[in-house]
Amino acid sequence: MLTSIEKIIFILLALTSAGFTIHGFKTIIDSVRKGRSAPELKNVPGSLIKAGITVLFQRTILKARKILSVIHMGLFFGLITYAFVNLFDALEGLVPGFTLTYGGAHLAYVPTGLVNAFNLISDLMSGALLIAITVFLVRRFFVKDKALTFRDNVLLNDKVKAGAQSRDSLIVDVFVIMHVSAHLMAQAFRLDQGADPFMPIASFLNSIFGASQIGLHVAWWISIGWVMFIIPYLSRSKHTHFFIAPVNLGLAKQNPRGQLDPAIPLKVPNGNHYDPGAKIITDLSWKRILDSYACVQCNRCQDVCPANFYGRPLSPSALEVNKRYLLKEATFGSHPDRLLLPLTEAVISPEAVWSCTTCYACVRVCPVGNEPMADIVDIRRRMIVDGAELDSGVQNALQSLATNGNWMSKGKRLRGRWAKEMEFSIKNATEEPVEHLWFVGDTASFDERVVPNTKMVARIFNHAGLDFGIMYQNESNAGNDVRRVGEEGLFEQLVEQNMQAFGKAQFQRIVTTDPHSFNTLKNEYPQFGGKFEVKHYTVTLLKLFEEGKLTIKKELSHYKVTFHDPCYLGRYNGGFTAPRKLLELVGVEFDEMPRNCENSFCCGAGGGQIWMGKVAPGERPAENRIKEALTTFEKNPSDKKQLFIVTCPKDMIMYSDAVKTTSNESKIEVRDIIQLIAEAVGVEEPVLTQAVTSPA
Amino acid sequence: MDIVVAIKHIPSIADDLPVKGNNVDFDSVDFVLNEFDEQSIEQAVLVKEAVDGTVTVIGVDLIGELDNILHLALAKGADKAIKITADDPAASSHQQAKWLSDAIKSLSPDIVFAGVQASNDLDGQIGPMIAAYLDMPYIGGVSSVEISDHTATINKEFSGGFGAKYAVSLPMVVGVQAASKPPRYAPISKVRQIAQTATIEKIAPSGDASAGLAFKKMAAPVATGHAEMLTGSSKEVAAKIVELLKSKGLA
Repeated sequence: MLTSIEKIIFILLALTSAGFTIHGFKTIIDSVRKGRSAPELKNVPGSLIKAGITVLFQRTILKARKILSVIHMGLFFGLITYAFVNLFDALEGLVPGFTLTYGGAHLAYVPTGLVNAFNLISDLMSGALLIAITVFLVRRFFVKDKALTFRDNVLLNDKVKAGAQSRDSLIVDVFVIMHVSAHLMAQAFRLDQGADPFMPIASFLNSIFGASQIGLHVAWWISIGWVMFIIPYLSRSKHTHFFIAPVNLGLAKQNPRGQLDPAIPLKVPNGNHYDPGAKIITDLSWKRILDSYACVQCNRCQDVCPANFYGRPLSPSALEVNKRYLLKEATFGSHPDRLLLPLTEAVISPEAVWSCTTCYACVRVCPVGNEPMADIVDIRRRMIVDGAELDSGVQNALQSLATNGNWMSKGKRLRGRWAKEMEFSIKNATEEPVEHLWFVGDTASFDERVVPNTKMVARIFNHAGLDFGIMYQNESNAGNDVRRVGEEGLFEQLVEQNMQAFGKAQFQRIVTTDPHSFNTLKNEYPQFGGKFEVKHYTVTLLKLFEEGKLTIKKELSHYKVTFHDPCYLGRYNGGFTAPRKLLELVGVEFDEMPRNCENSFCCGAGGGQIWMGKVAPGERPAENRIKEALTTFEKNPSDKKQLFIVTCPKDMIMYSDAVKTTSNESKIEVRDIIQLIAEAVGVEEPVLTQAVTSPA
Repeated sequence: MDIVVAIKHIPSIADDLPVKGNNVDFDSVDFVLNEFDEQSIEQAVLVKEAVDGTVTVIGVDLIGELDNILHLALAKGADKAIKITADDPAASSHQQAKWLSDAIKSLSPDIVFAGVQASNDLDGQIGPMIAAYLDMPYIGGVSSVEISDHTATINKEFSGGFGAKYAVSLPMVVGVQAASKPPRYAPISKVRQIAQTATIEKIAPSGDASAGLAFKKMAAPVATGHAEMLTGSSKEVAAKIVELLKSKGLA
């Protein structure tokens, strides 16, 4: 179809374009290689294939924003189709007589049916692409969807502030519209024998504009010429997403969700000294540098971030966006020195770093396998080692953890005091063998709002004849939140202390009432040689019911309850079913909140937030959650007593507070699941025969 | 500038304080660093950072566990650590002051910091006694120290929100109430690294103090009454409070 001169121009253009594209991706790969080593991945080809299938079915985006995700599918399948469309368009231009119109009638060896099918798909996908891209264009520029913006207090790269993201989107949106329209017009101009039933849109355009050789040449050049410019551009824009996202997903974290990467990678190149955590972008692992190229800045992570909800200056997506622009300025631009900028200046504000609850919602929802939360923990790690000023509450907690093994400034010997107050004795697991070693945790041991529940767990275990014991003063905080605050050294110290205590004890498995302890004992202690069977008490209780050791004496149909999935039990460790089965067993009316299981909304206490001395203004995540529970109950009103059921000591504190601060004491009450079980099983607190007086 | 910080290892009050005979039952109590000494270490390190010098931290090792505290001080920026190996958990403040000042004398310091008081020494004896033994001026209740030209500019706090600024020629002893900045956090990785590499100088206790106090009796305070908890809904509680205030003639 093309004249000789056109062909020469095309080939020169294609070579130039390929040159710029190769340079673009080489620059990206070079920047990724500057990162530290990442935890070793197993069976990379297998994971890449699995990721390819996931991408093909667009599974990961469907976790949130269902309608927009379907439109994204139009875009995705459209662009995949267009990879072939462009190839054939180029062949039609270069190979004389090669044309696919009318079933490729001139072509030998090619089945007409196949060509017709391809024509139909590409024609319809052209339409789908135009619709999808128009929706996205309208959403960003006319509807101005707030989900695509950032809070004013979030640190943003200057270029992003000046609208670089929107410009990027506009360029690609306009390209797609022009490219697809030009292709459709080229096909229309090609139809010199009237309509082709397998090309309905092109045929419709042909009925208006007719066939034209000049038109064909102009449209072809607009369609294919544009591609030559846009491909190199993509490698320099956020649309690297098209290429990097599937790869990034294939290389995503394989270790358990609840296991943080080490503060210093296991592999350090010879002659290098690595400080723990990350100060500058190249202190991050290569995988987390790659994250920023996979991110298309959809902000799904920001939607689910409890800190962002609370008005804190944290946006996980802004973190990725800022990383991306920092890399762009340093590698494509003329500022290579920017690679040395502290992340806390260029990427995320220190206040935002300390706002993260490490709830994992951002990582869970990310369609492309990014881990912004892990970056934040690495930044904290380095800040702590470098002696950054800490929040006074966090500092006090850490100092107490270092000296007392708990964050509440209580003496070690007081840890088992609640057990000594019981009406029966509780074994010391470091002195005599037990089947279940109960790891109690700080909050359940010391906090007087939670201790009554702790005692009730002991009564139920005792009632069921469970062989259990605790470690009394030998137990230290498990270190889950210490590690997530970034105090890796203290975490290791706590692990050593607990491993020493476990060494003294004889037990078959660990049971814990605390999801945070559960997480680190189960997922992180094995790296320190602590390979134990670890159970959350909801699982142990369910087993006791299944074995007939606990039986329901009274159905609790007079309660209407909802259940909050603790992050470290649910999203991190998949412990969704045991608590729900227990609720079913005790016979309460159960209403599920909209944000449940994987999509549960953090109470705001994790990652050291519960230690913070400063409390920010605004509606707290826990308050919002209580409102969510009440709205859920309102959909199905009744006169029953309404309960908010928790299975985490921190939740007990956070939500009891939130019920008070939202003045909802008359509408809803927070209870630990053990309180329901006690009532259903018929185990009660012993009646005190004499009043206890305490010294003033 | 040679800066010395005298610290005190004291029974922790995070625990119940067990009593045995006329004193604390030292076998069943944890020992911690006096919290005012935490402030005085910080103030000493801040001074060192401002004027250049060395900080030597010195304490009496009462139960053989002072190393942890000295490692922490080194991690926070002290340069040298000394322990006086007394191995007597009941050593009085007066006795400790004698041992400390004998050791400090040989260091010929420009300034000595001590916590203004300790929870087992609420009348703040250590600082003034060291000053007396060393024949140096003493100011306690100090909330900031700056040094230039061998003169210390010192802010002292009085009750009622009053403060005074002193200029004192060195050498002197300072009783620190609060450092001019909150004490820094020492990352445990650093503390543990120091614990493996640092050397702590040991000194034998020098001799008995000429005078001091002796315990006659130690007992828990007797409860003379206890708080009444108002129960009920917030409205009921509020009503009870109003009633109570009225009955006392306050409303």
